[in-house]
Amino acid sequence: MVVIEYTQLEELIIRIRDISGFDFSGYARPSLLRRAGRYLAKYDMDLGALLDHIEPGGSIVYELIQELTVNYSEMFRDPEYFKRVRTEVFGYLESYPTLRFWVAGCASGEEAFSMAIMLKEAELLGRSLIYATDLSNKVLTSAREGVFTLGNTRTFSESYMMAGGKHSLSDYYHVAYNQAVISPELRKNIVFSLHDLTGDGVFNEFQFISCRNVMIYFTLELRQHVFRLLYDSLSMLGFLCLGKRETLRYSGLEAHFKVIDSTLNIYQKIK
Amino acid sequence: MNSARDESLSLVLIGGSSGSFVIFEDIIKLLKNPVSFAVIFVLHRGKYSASVLPDLFKTKTDVHMSEPHHLDPITANSIYFALPDYHLLIGEDHRFYYDHNEPDFFSRPSIDATFISAALSGIPVKAAMLFTGSSQDGAEGMKLLAEKGFPTYVQNPEFAEFPRMPEEALLKYHQHNLLEEDKFYKTISDLLS
Repeated sequence: MVVIEYTQLEELIIRIRDISGFDFSGYARPSLLRRAGRYLAKYDMDLGALLDHIEPGGSIVYELIQELTVNYSEMFRDPEYFKRVRTEVFGYLESYPTLRFWVAGCASGEEAFSMAIMLKEAELLGRSLIYATDLSNKVLTSAREGVFTLGNTRTFSESYMMAGGKHSLSDYYHVAYNQAVISPELRKNIVFSLHDLTGDGVFNEFQFISCRNVMIYFTLELRQHVFRLLYDSLSMLGFLCLGKRETLRYSGLEAHFKVIDSTLNIYQKIK
Repeated sequence: MNSARDESLSLVLIGGSSGSFVIFEDIIKLLKNPVSFAVIFVLHRGKYSASVLPDLFKTKTDVHMSEPHHLDPITANSIYFALPDYHLLIGEDHRFYYDHNEPDFFSRPSIDATFISAALSGIPVKAAMLFTGSSQDGAEGMKLLAEKGFPTYVQNPEFAEFPRMPEEALLKYHQHNLLEEDKFYKTISDLLS
């Protein structure tokens, strides 16, 4: 761990913005501080050395942005959430002839794959389109390939079973070159595309949006802005799902949603 | 949004892993309403741990206990617990922040994550304590807190059920105060008074 102070972090934010145009000023400082510290420890350098290395035209600044923004992702994270979505939400969705899902901040795609599996088992996948977006092209490339590390399959299988999975997770991937690859059949209903929640706007209307463990990285102000975007992207009676420790609290939109599950943070737009 | 900010806020930080649950329970019994600071407990727990610590401990103290939400203000006279599967960070703005990135030393919550963020938050730390456990987690955070001039206390590894965690903390920084077996709860009780 390399420790940097808040004042130094501000210096880094300004430097990154000057060189790349990418603005971290709306990112929650405590987690940014932690990530920046971990980045420096990984490359065994101090902040001074990093500031010297990030130059216009160099690749380091983009690698740094990448590391500071990429979210850690798992299949069937919070299995009880998926279980609840299956029992509480899918029933509502069955009446729609076509369904649009948005996995916002999808990182390497695990959440989108999990959702596709759930939809397939509920026989809804055929009429569903899942838009999975992230601000990083690099993670999207990996997501499009459907690859995840084989080492994680055991934990993922456990979570899948706990989520009420009907088969075996291994039915949905094959192993090649020591990597697990999600089956193309699941991927064909998923569109991975570039979208920055903090800067880009509404691009479709959805019956279901999951944005889990993304907003915890934004400041209160930016978070309100992103909540507004998600709200505007939802159809009436559509569902919004947040991470287990995120709530609509401090969003300014509390009155526009009905709480479906207050522990797992599943909400329905009602006005 | 920062109106809840209390400039007199101070923190007591308590971290532990294997074997620490019973110590946490005994410390909670020492806390009587009102306490003039916020107490933050970080216990290593399994990712799927369903136990809600405020419920488990509710008969042990009359001080308000919670597993805080992201962005909740940190206030005195409160006991907080880090949740399983998230890092609990402390912000300069006296709010809690969750982080769901990589575990430290296979642990999420990580004691280091909370302790380091507290050390950098500018909020005074009245005391930080580290107990039994079989991990290296906590050592970096304790060192930083000590270097910032805050009082740090480590269970004497000789009587810790799992000595590794206090040992690692002492290896990283030799001058932590040792909590000795014979005066263990007496010392902690004095610190919390």
